[in-house]
Amino acid sequence: MQYCSNHSGRKYRHDLLFIGGLLLIIAAASLALFLFRVPGDTVTVTVDGQVWGEFSLSENRTVEITGADGYNLLVIANGQAYVSEASCPDGICSSHRPISHDGESIICLPNRVVISVQRQDDRQPDIIS
Amino acid sequence: MKHTKTSVLLLLTAFFLSVLFSSCALRETKFTAYSLDYFDTATTITGYAEDRAAFDSISNDILSVLGEYHRLYTIYHHYDDMENLCTVNTLENGVHRTVPVDRRITDMLLYAKDMYALTDGRMNIAMGSVLSIWHDYRTAGLDEPSAAALPSMEELSRAALHTNIDDLVIDEEAGTVFLADPDMTLDVGAIAKGYAVEMAAQMLEERGISGYVINVGGNVRTVGSKPDGSPWLAGIENPNPTDDAPYVGYLHLTGESIVTSGTYQRYYMVDGKSYHHIIDADTLFPAEGYLSISIVCKNSALGDALSTALFCMTPEDGLALVERLADVEALWILADESRQYSSGFAAYLTEP
Repeated sequence: MQYCSNHSGRKYRHDLLFIGGLLLIIAAASLALFLFRVPGDTVTVTVDGQVWGEFSLSENRTVEITGADGYNLLVIANGQAYVSEASCPDGICSSHRPISHDGESIICLPNRVVISVQRQDDRQPDIIS
Repeated sequence: MKHTKTSVLLLLTAFFLSVLFSSCALRETKFTAYSLDYFDTATTITGYAEDRAAFDSISNDILSVLGEYHRLYTIYHHYDDMENLCTVNTLENGVHRTVPVDRRITDMLLYAKDMYALTDGRMNIAMGSVLSIWHDYRTAGLDEPSAAALPSMEELSRAALHTNIDDLVIDEEAGTVFLADPDMTLDVGAIAKGYAVEMAAQMLEERGISGYVINVGGNVRTVGSKPDGSPWLAGIENPNPTDDAPYVGYLHLTGESIVTSGTYQRYYMVDGKSYHHIIDADTLFPAEGYLSISIVCKNSALGDALSTALFCMTPEDGLALVERLADVEALWILADESRQYSSGFAAYLTEP
């Protein structure tokens, strides 16, 4: 390249400007990516309105949730979350089908537990009735 | 050479700016809030806002409206600082008092009387005496499943003698409510949450807010469309939990309400058979014939009342009622899982 072997002061300044500009753009882009970053697929558990735990939907595990009036056994397996067993009397949470899509939730009223899925770019219903 | 570098810089800048701008165009993010405090069920609020704080401010307003209606309409709790339906139901020296109540109580009770007339008595808030028997047996049966039992027909029939809606005396001028039959009580479970949801939705509409959905126990009201103008996608829950498909259908909604009543929502088991919470005024037992009924209409209170009433009507009578009403559509899922649709229901159906 011609300008590499010909270090005139003007060219050098241009190189600095070029590199500085690049760095600035990279910094701005990183900031933008950080601000608008896409979180992973998450299962959030709240008890009495407070966040009790957050778990990745892609890691298999079993969690015993300590609810307000007993326990709920949360199972995350193969990208789905469900309640396998619970101490509540109505059993509505444990008979609920597995959830895996954005906005889906399993709610246990007696234990005041809400288990919900947060996922990006998930074209599932906004509302369930 | 200088030109090349300048154009590289310009191109890169243009690229990153476009990434930034596209992010800005999507800056209305979807948020969700849950509450378990109202109407003995779960409340879910979904909405689009610029950030969490903006969403929380609106969802807290919605929750406080729902909370006020909950306190006014509950039949299970007294509050020292207010007269509510629990007060109206309470006997004093063997008779009900004439209770001065908030306008929001008389308005709802008058609406419920209209619903009684519209549904030919299938939605009757004066059935408290019968429903409280079922409520007590259900609660006891859930607490102690091995001892779960059914109320006797005699007990139910005796209570059913005190369910005359005309004994609910509302004085609009004076703003009072009085139950003329001492053995009668109100149970507004088939209308209160739909009415409250509608009021909260109208509060948002009056403030010019859109892009929100209020869901109280399957009683859903959309407020406007999504920010990009597209409709909400609503899934109707499959009443059969053992079936693979989670939803029986998808609907597009823009400002409408969808209310589903189902046998799976509240029930208890006696000798291996499930008994749900929608009680037929004729048989005094859980209404048979359907797994779930969904109503699409503008007003969530109407949807709530109709979804209960249709459970206690034949598919033919229910269809005739829905077809008579403007802008009301319904989907019946019968006990054998076959379906009946009202004539205009298909217009809302969509694929995800």
